[in-house]
Amino acid sequence: MFKVFQIVIDWSEVWALLIPISLLLFRKQPALLKPVVFYVCIALFINLAIDLTWKIRTILPAKYNSNNYLYNLHSIIRFFLFSTFFIRLKQPFLTTIKKIIPFCFLAFVIINFCFYENFFDYWKLSSRLLSVEAILLLFYTLQYYLFKINDSPEVNIFNSDFWIVTGLGIYVTINFFIFLLYNELTIRMEHFAISLWNAHNISYVIFNLFIAKGFYESREH
Amino acid sequence: MNQGSTDIRLLLVVGIAAMLMLFISLLLIFIFTQRKKLQFQNELQAMQNAQKNQLIEAAVRSEEIERHRIAEELHDEVGAILGASSLHFNSVRIEDPDESNQSIYQKGKDLLDEGINKIRGLSHSLHSNILQEFGLNEALSHFCGKISHESVVEISVTLDPSYPTQVGQNDISIYRIVQELINNINKHAKATKIFVRSIYLNKTLMITLTHNGKGLTQSHFEELRFKKDGLGLKNIQNRIILLKADLKFSHHAGGYAIDISVPVD
Repeated sequence: MFKVFQIVIDWSEVWALLIPISLLLFRKQPALLKPVVFYVCIALFINLAIDLTWKIRTILPAKYNSNNYLYNLHSIIRFFLFSTFFIRLKQPFLTTIKKIIPFCFLAFVIINFCFYENFFDYWKLSSRLLSVEAILLLFYTLQYYLFKINDSPEVNIFNSDFWIVTGLGIYVTINFFIFLLYNELTIRMEHFAISLWNAHNISYVIFNLFIAKGFYESREH
Repeated sequence: MNQGSTDIRLLLVVGIAAMLMLFISLLLIFIFTQRKKLQFQNELQAMQNAQKNQLIEAAVRSEEIERHRIAEELHDEVGAILGASSLHFNSVRIEDPDESNQSIYQKGKDLLDEGINKIRGLSHSLHSNILQEFGLNEALSHFCGKISHESVVEISVTLDPSYPTQVGQNDISIYRIVQELINNINKHAKATKIFVRSIYLNKTLMITLTHNGKGLTQSHFEELRFKKDGLGLKNIQNRIILLKADLKFSHHAGGYAIDISVPVD
C-alpha cells in the first residue's frame, strides 16, 4: 500500500498538471490567463522528462541520467511565465518594480550559471535558483493581495486570478525553505531530503488544484 | 553532525510553519477586508436606492397634490366664473337682433359653453373624483369611455371585477400610468382600436393595453425615457419604480402591447 502511495506521489509532478489541462479542453481561457496555460502545458513536458529520466536512469547513458538541469529549466520558465501573468493583471501598484524584476532575474541566472554554478550539474539542482525564484514569486503574490486590500472591492472576490495567485502563494510559501536548504539536506541527510521532496510534490498537487479552480472560474467557454 | 542535522531540520520546520502562518494570515485579512468593503458598498447602494425612491415618491405625491389643487381651483374658481358668465350671457335680451348680431351672440354662447366643458374636462382629468369614490375599475372605464369615439379611436375595456374598490395610494399611480399610456397611444401611435384588460391574481394586478397603431418596443422605450422631451415616459417610469411594478413593451403580429404588472399589498 505504501509503495503504491509512493509511486503516486513520485509521479504527482506529472499527473497533477493533468487536472488543469483537462479543464482547458472544455473552457477557452481569457487572454489574461494565457501565461498560466502555457506554463501548465510546458511544465507537463518538462516534468514528464524529469520523472522519466529518474525512473529509467539505470538504462540511460551516464551523461543523460541526471534530471537536475530540467528542474533548473522548469524554475526559469515558471518564473518568467508567472511574472508575465502578474504584469498582465495591470494592477497599478509597483508597476515599474514588477517589470524590472524579470530582467534582474535574468541577469542573476546568467551571472550565477556563468560564474558560480553549473546549469547542468549532475549531482544537484540549483537551490539558489529555485529559492530566488520562490522568493520573487512570493513578492508578486504579496503585492497582489496588498493592492487588492486597498482597491475597491469586486463583486466576486474569488475570481480566477485570485485562485491562481493563492495556489502559487501556498506553493512558494511551503517550498521556499525546502529549496533553500535542499542541497545542504542532500549532503547531510539524503533520505530525509528524498522524503522532503514528497512535501514539495504534495504542495505541487495543491498548486495545480488551485490553477484548475482558476481556469474553472474564468467565464469564457 | 547529529546536532547540525537537527538544527537544519528545526530551521526547515520552523521556517515553513512561519511562512505558512504569515501567508494564511495575509490571506484571511484580504478576504475579511474585501467582504467588509463589499458589504459597506452594498449598504451604500441600498441607501442610495432608498433615497432615490423617496425622492420619486415625494415628486409623485407633490404632483398629485398640485393636480388636486389646480383641479379644485379650475372647478371652483374658473368654472364658477364661467358658469356665472354663461348665466348672465343667457339673460341678455336683444330686441330684434339683426343677422350679424344674432350670429355673434350665438358664437359667444357656444364659445362660453365650450370653455365651461373644457374646464370641467380638464378638472376631471387632473383629479378624478370617480377614482376616489368608485375605485380604479370605474375610473378607468369612465376615462376610456370619455376618450373612445367610434370614428376616431375605439377603446374596449375588460377589467377584473375581483380587484378591490377601496382606493389605495397605488391606485392613483396606476390610473395615471394607464391615462398617460392611452394619451400617448392616441397622440403618437395613431391607433384606431385599443384594448384594455386587467387580471387580478395572487395579489398582483396585471393590466394589458394592446393597440393596432405604431407603438414602442422595449428598447425604444428605454431609449426615449432618458430624453428631455420624453417627460411623460419618465413620469411613467417613476411611478413604476414607486409601485415596484414591472412595465414591458412588446410587438407581435396583431399589433403592440404594453404589460403592467403591479404587486398589491
